[in-house]
Amino acid sequence: MMLLAADPVVDWGKLGQVVAYSAVVGIGVALCFSLAIVGAIRFSEARRGPGGTGAALGYALLATLGLAATLAAAVGAIIVMTNKS
Amino acid sequence: MQSDLILYIVVAAALAFDFTNGFHDTANVVATAISTRALPPRVAVTFAAILNFVGAFISLAVAATVAKGIVNADFITPTIVFAGLIGAIMWNLATWWFGLPSSSSHALIGGVVGAAFAAQGADAIEGNGLLGKVVIPALIAPVLAFAVAGISILVVYRIVGRLRPGPVSSGFKLGQLLSGGLLALAHGTNDAQKTMGVITLALIAHGDIAKDNFHVPNWVVVASATAIALGTYTGGWRIIKTMGSRIIKMDSAQGFAAQGAGATVILASSHFGYPLSTTHVINGGIMGAGAAKRLSAVRWGVAGNIAVAWVLTLPAAALGGAAIWGFARIFGTGSLGPLVVSVLLIGVILAIFARRIQRTSLASAAGGTR
Repeated sequence: MMLLAADPVVDWGKLGQVVAYSAVVGIGVALCFSLAIVGAIRFSEARRGPGGTGAALGYALLATLGLAATLAAAVGAIIVMTNKS
Repeated sequence: MQSDLILYIVVAAALAFDFTNGFHDTANVVATAISTRALPPRVAVTFAAILNFVGAFISLAVAATVAKGIVNADFITPTIVFAGLIGAIMWNLATWWFGLPSSSSHALIGGVVGAAFAAQGADAIEGNGLLGKVVIPALIAPVLAFAVAGISILVVYRIVGRLRPGPVSSGFKLGQLLSGGLLALAHGTNDAQKTMGVITLALIAHGDIAKDNFHVPNWVVVASATAIALGTYTGGWRIIKTMGSRIIKMDSAQGFAAQGAGATVILASSHFGYPLSTTHVINGGIMGAGAAKRLSAVRWGVAGNIAVAWVLTLPAAALGGAAIWGFARIFGTGSLGPLVVSVLLIGVILAIFARRIQRTSLASAAGGTR
């Protein structure tokens, strides 16, 4: 019991948070930026193709949202850095 | 006067360590971008140096926690700090020479632990702190980054796999500017502060700053930021080569996944107060991004050498710190010992570089006569 009550060598709570946030944000950013690239490339193809205005708009939206989510994560990272003090 | 001299020597040693930290860890930030040709080499290191400099000004929270909970602060003297710094510098130079990316933070902690152990015995070391804050994070960091980068690259390939490779590659090269920039900022924020912390501790020990009023003077912030930025600009090309092309031959999507996973893991760990080594994280990310594509894509022999360097960092830097403390002690407890060590170390480094320049000149001359 004494051992259990003592200060733990590993803070499993903090470690769990690090693992969860790293996985969600890291994989999420890769997903969002990939979607932005897909959107940008498909937009460029659809715009040049015949009668693809609707599809082009959809891909433009996908590219914009993907890029916005990636940039939001970058801004969040800078806020995390500045809030450490 | 003697007390002032030891302070100057410790400050100079801390800034020298900061410089080696910069050039040793340049690879963490730029290796993937150079390898995938997202940036030309000189532009990449300039970009990293500027962001490292800026990053050093972002936060000062880490500066107050250097070696906290690992060595007993009551036992620390300027000579112990000096010996620890020199032990860390020697290990950084040795691993750079062999092109091995190892943790500068672990080298610093190892050096101070070794010097404190030699000077004050086992009572100066807090074993649980060493295990919980250094050893276990060293096991977790590469595994976590490996997994995040590995899953990320699988997601990326799944989404962009059917597109033409040219535009995809150009897109991820742009993404690497963002992920690399964040890495450089995070590195400057974390690593420059270790030097700030060491110098501030020396100022406290010297009586320039009150113990209960811990603050980092502006000149310390500027000097530390400048030293790490200059070191980064100098560029540890041997380590950049190892990380950029010897572990895996990576494409720009893998570079983005490795850097993105690295930046995320470092910032998450820093945010939750569970510091992980930048070097361990980025190398784990690179290996994960390679292994997820194909296990045989990773040169496991090179990865093994890097792992051996990681395992050896703490004990080797500790031995170096202890040996330097012992050698300095021969000259008494004043500043003479650190002064002799500094002069000898500068002499050895200059001799090695002079020999290297001479060899390069001879090789050039021989090439020219062919």
